[in-house]
Amino acid sequence: MDPLIVALPKGRMQDDALDLFAAVGYPCDPEASSGRKLVFDDASGAFRFILAKPADVPIYVEYGAADLGIVGQDVLREGSRDLYEPLGLGFGRCRLVLAGPAEARDRNLRLETGVRIASKYPRLSREYLQQRGLSAEIIPLSGSVELAPAVGLADLLIDLVDTGRTLRENGLVVLATIMESQATLVVNRASHRLRHVAMREIIARLAAEVARRQAAAEVR
Amino acid sequence: MISDARSQARQLPHGLADLFYEQAAVKTELETRLQDTFRGWGYQRIIPPTFEYYATLSTEASPQLEEEMYRFFDREGHILALRPDMTVPTARVIGTRLYDQTLPLRFYYLGSVFRYDEEPQAGRRREFTQAGIELVGAGTAEADAEVVAVAVGALDAMEVPRFQINLGQVAFLKAILAGLGGEALGDPRLENGDLRRIEGAVNRKNDVDLRGVLDDLQIGGRTAEAVAAIPHLYGDAAVLDEARRLATNAEATAAVDQLAAVYELLDRAGVADRVTLDLGEVRSMAYYTGITFHGYAAGLGFDICSGGRYDGLVSHFGADLPAVGFALGLERCMLVARARCAIAPHVVVQGCSDPEAHRLAALARGRGLRVEMDVVGRTGDALIAYGRECGARHIIAASGGGYTLIEPDGARTMSRGELEKEIVTWTP
Repeated sequence: MDPLIVALPKGRMQDDALDLFAAVGYPCDPEASSGRKLVFDDASGAFRFILAKPADVPIYVEYGAADLGIVGQDVLREGSRDLYEPLGLGFGRCRLVLAGPAEARDRNLRLETGVRIASKYPRLSREYLQQRGLSAEIIPLSGSVELAPAVGLADLLIDLVDTGRTLRENGLVVLATIMESQATLVVNRASHRLRHVAMREIIARLAAEVARRQAAAEVR
Repeated sequence: MISDARSQARQLPHGLADLFYEQAAVKTELETRLQDTFRGWGYQRIIPPTFEYYATLSTEASPQLEEEMYRFFDREGHILALRPDMTVPTARVIGTRLYDQTLPLRFYYLGSVFRYDEEPQAGRRREFTQAGIELVGAGTAEADAEVVAVAVGALDAMEVPRFQINLGQVAFLKAILAGLGGEALGDPRLENGDLRRIEGAVNRKNDVDLRGVLDDLQIGGRTAEAVAAIPHLYGDAAVLDEARRLATNAEATAAVDQLAAVYELLDRAGVADRVTLDLGEVRSMAYYTGITFHGYAAGLGFDICSGGRYDGLVSHFGADLPAVGFALGLERCMLVARARCAIAPHVVVQGCSDPEAHRLAALARGRGLRVEMDVVGRTGDALIAYGRECGARHIIAASGGGYTLIEPDGARTMSRGELEKEIVTWTP
């Protein structure tokens, strides 16, 4: 049987994701996974991992180039791809927030027009503003969004927050939480049907491991 | 060369494509096989117009589909639209013109539909060809099973190598949610947005989101247990027992029974191995009222066909008739279908100024061969070179008072009578 292909996000979540697969019995040769290789197999040959930019993971999986993927909820909702999301994996937890200078707390956005909001998440930002009937201009950026209010590019920003340190260092505060995010297992709809035996097996194993870790965390 | 100054100067709008040579031939072949399949099950063709009133076409359209319609005005200022699918025009014809005919009605359609998608994907462009069937006036499990079986037959006819039909039943989830307020989805606590959130989470099989939505809406107890279990109710007939156990009211049980009956019929029809049950298959819940299904093929990440029961649709056009059907996008099917057809001529005939050549060509055509007459005056080596370039098996050249027949294993000169005897042994 061909290996199931797993798209992993390069960067922050990559090691956690590989740890998780190792914990359920599919370790990778660290040599292969730490180098520059973008494609490598686990020791058993049951899985082939490919490394992609986080925002591209849902695309690989939607097109079926990868059968499975691991990616943050934030990226998933921003991309709006048609995938199964059978399992929250418990790591990579963070929040998508509206943030700005402390004095912005007293502003009533509903009464303002021409507010500018910088974000790497233009779609989620637009959705959030629309749902609340707010009008604002969204300035799409690809990184270092916290810079935008400091230099007057934007009044506010919508971005991911992990510990909140970056915001504090830039004199910014959280004004509202838009969504909670964590690493999520995504599955191609066709693969879920056509490879259902292998799929069920890996989803069940990962679910058991995630549950075990959660239980262990609660005891502590 | 990847581009050419001339094709750059006369570009097509984004999302459109020209088909020619093999692609056009394959598409035509698939169209033929699909129509043969549909007709074989007793379906008759319906040909609605390409555009009509926007108000008609937007009947029961999702907000997304409404946005994707190409709209324009006629001279009187009416809003028209290019049809974004074939189901609604078909329902209009049936509801307004054919409502008193003997039931059930079986129609198939085949034609272009137009959608302004943000980005065309997986073979689906802004104009794509939809083929499908509608079975109207029968609300039975037999009708449901027939439509699924025709879908399987259609995919087989196109030689889609490995596929699975994912068969669900939206009435199950609807009944469970309706049980909350006692009226069909009329619970004031459950607004459309809430339903869409539940549908979305179930559809993505996202347990975390689903529990979040249930908590937000303060849905608990057996209802929450059943809804939370739905994304996991997929597989073989065993899921039906589990679904019956989870059913919170008689309507939910009836929904499972209907699905069980359809599955049983598909088993008897010998296609159950192509079908997976999935009660979490709840896309477009507002539109569908009973079974729904999507087909998936190996090597293609996207669904290859979809369908289901929409008993509320025809009633918008005046006749309250149950309906079930399915549709597929031909260009997407072309990505995985193995069906092929040859396009090269079998025979090339030197034609100009020889009246007998036309009779020989007609004889070969009568045998079912593709015969090309030379109309530009090629003779001798030029004719042979052209015929070989086309891939023709037989090349007929005039030679003296007779003919030379050039075939891969050599050339022979013969009289017209001898050539005629030869031609009647040829097969395509």
